[in-house]
Amino acid sequence: MHDLLEAFRLVAAPDVLVAILASAIYGLVVGSLPGLSATMATALLVPVTFWLSPIAAIATIITASAMAIFSGDIPGCLLRIPGTPASAAYTDEAYAMTRKGQAEMALGAGLWFSAIGGIVGTLSLVLMAPLLAEMALSFSTYEYFWLAFLGLMCATLVARSSPIKAIASMLLGLLISCIGMENPAGTPRFTFGLTDLLGGIEPIPALVGVFAVSEVMRAMVTAEPPKLPKRKFGSILANQWMLTKKYQWPMWRGNIIGIIIGVLPGAGADMAAWVSYAMSKRFSKEPEKFGTGHPEGLVEAGASNNASLASGWVPSLLFGIPGDTITAIAIGVLYMKGLNPGPTLFTERASSMYALYIIFIIANIIMIPLGIMMIRAASVILRAPRAGVMPVIILLCAVGSYATGNNLFAVVLVGLFGMLGFVMEKNGYPVAALVLGIVMGSMVEQSFITSLIKSDGDVMPFFERPVSAVLAALTFSALLWPVGVWIWNRIRHPRLPAGGATG
Amino acid sequence: MQLSDRVTGAVLIALGGAAAIFGARLPAVPGQDVGPAAFPMLIGGGLALCGGLIAFGIGHSFEVPEEGDDPAPPGSLHLGPLHLGRLRPLIPTALLFFYVLAVERLGFLPTAAVVVLLAAIALGARLRLAIPLAIIAPLCVHLAFYKLLRVPLPAGILPAPW
Repeated sequence: MHDLLEAFRLVAAPDVLVAILASAIYGLVVGSLPGLSATMATALLVPVTFWLSPIAAIATIITASAMAIFSGDIPGCLLRIPGTPASAAYTDEAYAMTRKGQAEMALGAGLWFSAIGGIVGTLSLVLMAPLLAEMALSFSTYEYFWLAFLGLMCATLVARSSPIKAIASMLLGLLISCIGMENPAGTPRFTFGLTDLLGGIEPIPALVGVFAVSEVMRAMVTAEPPKLPKRKFGSILANQWMLTKKYQWPMWRGNIIGIIIGVLPGAGADMAAWVSYAMSKRFSKEPEKFGTGHPEGLVEAGASNNASLASGWVPSLLFGIPGDTITAIAIGVLYMKGLNPGPTLFTERASSMYALYIIFIIANIIMIPLGIMMIRAASVILRAPRAGVMPVIILLCAVGSYATGNNLFAVVLVGLFGMLGFVMEKNGYPVAALVLGIVMGSMVEQSFITSLIKSDGDVMPFFERPVSAVLAALTFSALLWPVGVWIWNRIRHPRLPAGGATG
Repeated sequence: MQLSDRVTGAVLIALGGAAAIFGARLPAVPGQDVGPAAFPMLIGGGLALCGGLIAFGIGHSFEVPEEGDDPAPPGSLHLGPLHLGRLRPLIPTALLFFYVLAVERLGFLPTAAVVVLLAAIALGARLRLAIPLAIIAPLCVHLAFYKLLRVPLPAGILPAPW
């Protein structure tokens, strides 16, 4: 009880409240601009968090990411261009509703069910994290190795791409994490004689490059999105209670799927939306209406992507394993602020954890009034020309990455990772897997090598301990899953060339 | 920048092989079986294996074709392999490298103005938008990062008025 009161006191500090409000507006604007994703919004916030108190720093990340995931629905609904990848799954549906004259209902559903999803996701975090923390106290390096490995495998499984390319991206990330002397032996590796590489490659320049610079590169070769016609909106929340009652079951299913996908390391909001939208269509009583402007899929997937945001913090806070690319950034900030992830965080810094929950709830509640204002202002904000926004993004990439260590080498890295991300994306290599490889590389290696040293080179302890045996089984099933699917397809359609893809 | 799977696969084989070979040459820690060489060798081997599988087109059937990302539908605008338009995606990286090389000498404000101006023009902005943006954006960024966040941005030839 004392911790809870302390948490309220922490959140009520003026700097935290200002941080929540400012990052909410920032997240809404960035998320609504096509091409600027929630991950990028978070990555560009990192230099700002240096100068904030720990709670205010975390508050900016939580609030900005939640707002950006919602406001990605706005251009999707009005222009048929998703503002963030997490809205891509149901963009066509929302746009079909707009064409039927139901733009208010589509936007309102995005807003209302995002907020519900966010709050349900937070409750799952509140319930799940302390229980898992109890369990995690008995984990040793063997379990941590399997957890990290399982996280990497999940990231490759859920990528909407060839699993082999996803694994290759992940391995490339791990290889990049080998650079420098931050390994158990402290030997400098792959530094090519450059002192700048001795410290290794920080995840922040890599993230900014892969998610922000490569987006500016894409803007260089794609056509400018169409301008939004000016329009007046009616009541945004008018029909939402009716929708909530009518689609109660899909809403809960969306929440639960979102929570599960969020907890899976490496899989985030975009995946949650895709899976939930597909589930909704599969189990709907009227699947023929999907794609023609039917709100059911919107309800389910809109709740799902916001629910996954909060539950993505579960593995991040407990094990330091990112639940998605946003928490991959958040983990770095947690370390910087002395809130090192781990099970003891919940016992020793309980008030900070309660504060985190409270911020999540506040963010999802203020999302509704701020979101309505954002929807009404959208026709002005979305008129911002891309040629005016992207140059500022480039400048912020340069200054932001420089600010993380007052080192110009980080800016070079941002440029290089931008090119790498652009080329990888163009050729079907998922960049999220690369980023997770970079973030988790040192943890995988540390736990792997330490375990091997402890067991004198014997691999049996990796499988003998009960929890690690279960985790190992999960990892191998994740690894073999694509092979199983491939064999299954071969048996069922022996004549067809695998998948029949020609280009 | 669309490359065939054979090319990207071959690059991965070469990269993985090089990582494994150079990793294996790392000095061992005396008295221990597993040293700094183990992890790079493992990763490099795996990467080379994946590269081989990709080059042979295994797993291609899982790929979802990218939607709406390709600006030029086939037949509309054929850029030759040496056409300058092909280098457009390199502009952001080139501008970042320019920033790195110039910022210490020129100072933040002029360098940032050049970066913003060139990026805006490359994206097709009219000068009526690009020039005011190139003046205002660096000032705002400088104010936020130098004054509020205390990032030591170099002053160079044109120090900020604050």
